[in-house]
Amino acid sequence: MANQRSGRHDGRGEIKFSPTIFVVLVFLSVILVAFDRPANRSPLFSSIRAGFTDLAAPVLEIAAQPIRFVKGIAPYFRRQGQLAEENARMQQDLMEARGWVELAGRLQDRIEVYEQALNVESEATGERIGAWTVADPDGPFVHARLIGRGQAAGVRDGFPVINVYGLVGRVTEAGQRSARVLLLTDLNSRVPVMADRSNARAILIGDNSDFPRLDYVGRNPDIQPGDRIVTSGDDGILPRGLPVGEAIATRDGQWRIRLYSDQAPIDFVWVWPYERVLAPEDEPVVDEAMAVNPDASVPDVPAPDATAPDATAPDASGADVSGGDASDVDASGVDVSGVTGSASSDEEGVSDAQGQ
Amino acid sequence: MRKVNEQASTGWPIAWCVLSIFFALIAYATPTKLLDGPHLMPTWPLMVLFLWANMRPRFVPPFIVFFVGLAQDLLTGAPMGVWALAYLAAISASRFRGEDGMPRDLGPIWIRFLMALAIAHALAFVAGSWANDQLADWYKLVLEFIASALTFPLIGHLVLRRRRGSRSGFIGG
Repeated sequence: MANQRSGRHDGRGEIKFSPTIFVVLVFLSVILVAFDRPANRSPLFSSIRAGFTDLAAPVLEIAAQPIRFVKGIAPYFRRQGQLAEENARMQQDLMEARGWVELAGRLQDRIEVYEQALNVESEATGERIGAWTVADPDGPFVHARLIGRGQAAGVRDGFPVINVYGLVGRVTEAGQRSARVLLLTDLNSRVPVMADRSNARAILIGDNSDFPRLDYVGRNPDIQPGDRIVTSGDDGILPRGLPVGEAIATRDGQWRIRLYSDQAPIDFVWVWPYERVLAPEDEPVVDEAMAVNPDASVPDVPAPDATAPDATAPDASGADVSGGDASDVDASGVDVSGVTGSASSDEEGVSDAQGQ
Repeated sequence: MRKVNEQASTGWPIAWCVLSIFFALIAYATPTKLLDGPHLMPTWPLMVLFLWANMRPRFVPPFIVFFVGLAQDLLTGAPMGVWALAYLAAISASRFRGEDGMPRDLGPIWIRFLMALAIAHALAFVAGSWANDQLADWYKLVLEFIASALTFPLIGHLVLRRRRGSRSGFIGG
């Protein structure tokens, strides 16, 4: 620290920056800026960043504790007076919620049966990973959060991050014990979304404002002010249906989103372990018949259609999915006859549930 | 014997220098947003670097300035090199001449700091915009500038008072 290798005396007792070292360091800085662009960041730079944040995360976590404590004081005293009233209201909400939980369970069962009938593979997601925010560098160049969980807890690049209200962003750098979450408001954030009501597609683009804009909506988009906007899952990176926000129309004819996640400070979040859907070229399948006999253009024995459900046998859950008679009632008491016919009523049920 | 005394007289200031830079970086990156609204966070690392670079220039050679800027880049998620470049230029341009050449009055120091602040933020804006291929958030930079400019007199006053009270040891010259 106190060495004088990079400083020198000029004979008048003054200490100057060594011009050579100064120029070298300035040049090095420019090189770093040129090669550490968020758009095309190399894995080496990403690993340096992840390693550094891993080192810094425990310190930041400790530093954040008093701040969290101070943050909690005012709400604590404010809420003491409201607790009795809130308790009564919550008990009422709990009673109603039990009904919704029951409905959700029934609908979940029904969805599983439909998925089996249609041979749709449901989105496999693991347990959500809870994490505290340890730093919020809401700076001029990046809108991000540093969270105190990393690859050791199962966090990976690209995983969506949500809070109790909705989507917050996605993981862009995952270290061993920390990860950086790029917020939806960041300049580099692009998320395919859709209106829950009409399925009208758009891209949610962060522009450093609190209300990211909807772009690529088409000429006459079927979007209305107040529409619930959810992720569309079109990019294969984020799952479909994560709540994002509410559409608002601006005076200049643009659409922007009031983010649900902004309803509270982003302190505690969940990382959603969602494995992205790979493109076919990224997930090549070796055809065994072709591997054995490369010249054969058609396999000798047609493979049984593995995707088609057995039309007569009951499926694994015990539900008969053969198609519509009086016996088509699954174990949960859900009538699965005439999938198409009952779909509309089910959609109403689902959207009702979501609407709550 | 004399050498031992010299080492002892620089040991504590060096420790203070390292600690103050460390805490400045942590304070800058830690979530301190207590209230809703604009996030008014002064550029603590620049403030600390500026004071040390003028009180004890030998403690803050260019590579220290570079690494503090780089650490800030990494902590805040900014493209690497942005704050390193900004701090190098700002500190080299705003240093008072001579070892312990900092005036005893707050006014000239404040003006010099505003100059450093302006250089750092202007360069950070240019470099950050270049790295991101789009204009950086100038509003946040302006807020940081204002917060730093308003906070500096308090910190500067405390440092100057401490220097007058203790001409040897601690942080004084």
